Amino acid sequence: MPTTVQPVTPMLAAAPAGARAPRIPASQIADLGINAVLLLVLLASILFSVSLGAIRIPPHDILAAIFARHPLTETQQAILFSIRLPRVLASAIVGAALALSGLMFQGLFRNPMADSYIVGASGGAALGACIGIVFLSRLAFFGFSAPAMLAFLGAFLTMAVVYWLARSRGRTNVVTLLLAGFVTSAILTNSTYLFELYGPDSTNSVRIVDAWLHGAIGIPQWRQLGATTLLLALAIVAAIPLMRRLNTLALGDEYAHQLGIRVETTRIAIILVGSLLTALAVSLGGLISFAGLIVPHMARLILGPNHTRLLPVATLGGAIFLVLTDTAARTLFAPSELPVGVLMVFLGGPFFLYLLRKSKREYTL
Amino acid sequence: MIPLVQIRDLSFHFGERAILNHIELDIDQGTTGALIGPNGAGKTTLLRILAGTLTPSAGEVLLEGRSFTNMPRRERAKHIALVPQSLDVPFEFTVQQIVEQGRTPYLGMLRGLMREDRIAVDRAVDLTDLASLRHRIFNELSGGERQRVKIALGLAQQPRLLLLDEPTQSLDIGRQVELIDLLASLHHEGVTVLASIHDLHLVPGNFAAVHLLEPGQPLVSGSPEIILTPSQLSRAFHCTPGRHPLLQEAL
Repeated sequence: MPTTVQPVTPMLAAAPAGARAPRIPASQIADLGINAVLLLVLLASILFSVSLGAIRIPPHDILAAIFARHPLTETQQAILFSIRLPRVLASAIVGAALALSGLMFQGLFRNPMADSYIVGASGGAALGACIGIVFLSRLAFFGFSAPAMLAFLGAFLTMAVVYWLARSRGRTNVVTLLLAGFVTSAILTNSTYLFELYGPDSTNSVRIVDAWLHGAIGIPQWRQLGATTLLLALAIVAAIPLMRRLNTLALGDEYAHQLGIRVETTRIAIILVGSLLTALAVSLGGLISFAGLIVPHMARLILGPNHTRLLPVATLGGAIFLVLTDTAARTLFAPSELPVGVLMVFLGGPFFLYLLRKSKREYTL
Repeated sequence: MIPLVQIRDLSFHFGERAILNHIELDIDQGTTGALIGPNGAGKTTLLRILAGTLTPSAGEVLLEGRSFTNMPRRERAKHIALVPQSLDVPFEFTVQQIVEQGRTPYLGMLRGLMREDRIAVDRAVDLTDLASLRHRIFNELSGGERQRVKIALGLAQQPRLLLLDEPTQSLDIGRQVELIDLLASLHHEGVTVLASIHDLHLVPGNFAAVHLLEPGQPLVSGSPEIILTPSQLSRAFHCTPGRHPLLQEAL
């Protein structure tokens, strides 16, 4: 009995006569350029956003303070570092997390109409965080607050339930997915009111939870920003090897399986990372719909469906998109502020309906 | 010489129902075999077990004498590739991107396509005559073109055995002939092929071995002349002799 098995059919292994020289795809070079441009646009958006507000701080003053050591006034410094910069950075983190989680859920469900809000993960995270805010706000483990951890748990459990409901015989029925996500999300977000009413400090809880449910990005502490940035970085690192797996999963379970992928393990990993990203976004900005739908969709229109290429573009694009929309939300109706979640519904709702209309033939009952 | 693949006493049950019963089959290196049988006989099930996507209820599959069932998943994918009946892709992947997926078993978690991967993909694209369609969107291709892309994806795995599940299904006669020619060129390249075939007209002259699968019965193998006889086919397909042109005379 032979101990080794020839790895390949010899003729298939041989390069044909006149085989084309292996090349570095031009797309890799183009991607570097695109991502560099997006990074610059993100920095410019942040600069633009922090300069706007009741007291305007001109961008060139900020640049002069950074590069030419012309310090800002004390008032300007206080506004910049205590109010605007934390909020703008929070919106960038929320946008990046929502877009990347949307990309992952769209790949997981093999459907461009999924995102963490639509599939119910955001609702689960909101309920988890709400329980944490109302009952366990002083509890923390290893530096992570109970609301943040419960948000993650809520997102993960909801995703597991919605995924289980929507999968049938190895396929995801889109109508079932959307309905399961919608109903689960409705149950979860509305249950948050019960906790508000019966919580120990109901007046304060109602205010916080209400802002959350409308997707208002608050002004986080620098410590919280640091922790969420670290977790976002970890989630991105964990997502990188999953991107190629998502490409293979796009071929369907049977193909992925016979190509050597551990399909169920990969799915659980995607749900875990997607839930972590959702929890990060929800912990900073509450329920913000559709950002995770629009950004990956736009990125896919420009770059095609290769998830490996989409990861950095969707992440940076999401950050830019939310920095700009949150800036609009807080300045358009000044001195009043619109929660960015409300503005996003006005932008994303019609976009979602457009997608539904465009693909209606594919999603008939 | 030891056969490339040996199937020994293989059974598969779906609940109480026996789909495959005590199947024995040897597949020799470099041969082109047709797997025929009535609907529900278990042809797709047998191909899936060979590809490792289904686990048999009993029995085993040996690859050059070594247990295939116990082989790590990615190792298996380097030896046997299955071209399923359908490929449904939700996003706008190009032909090139689809064929590159065939390299998945060879790639690590972070390693991208290397020189040898690109050569294997180019080779698969050349063999299936897809060079001009490389950058086309898969979902916009015709049925015959999609079938070629699926085969290229399988070839990019550089398998020792290529399994095809109903490759001629829903193809017009012109595309059927193209596909049969492609299988002949793969045979010429030394690829071992086992294809489940519904259209029995395509078997004689194109497949050296025929394996007839009947529900719950042992597999019968032989040359087309031996297997494709009116009496054998009318018994296997439960069709009265004379009621179908195929059953009036030997093919």
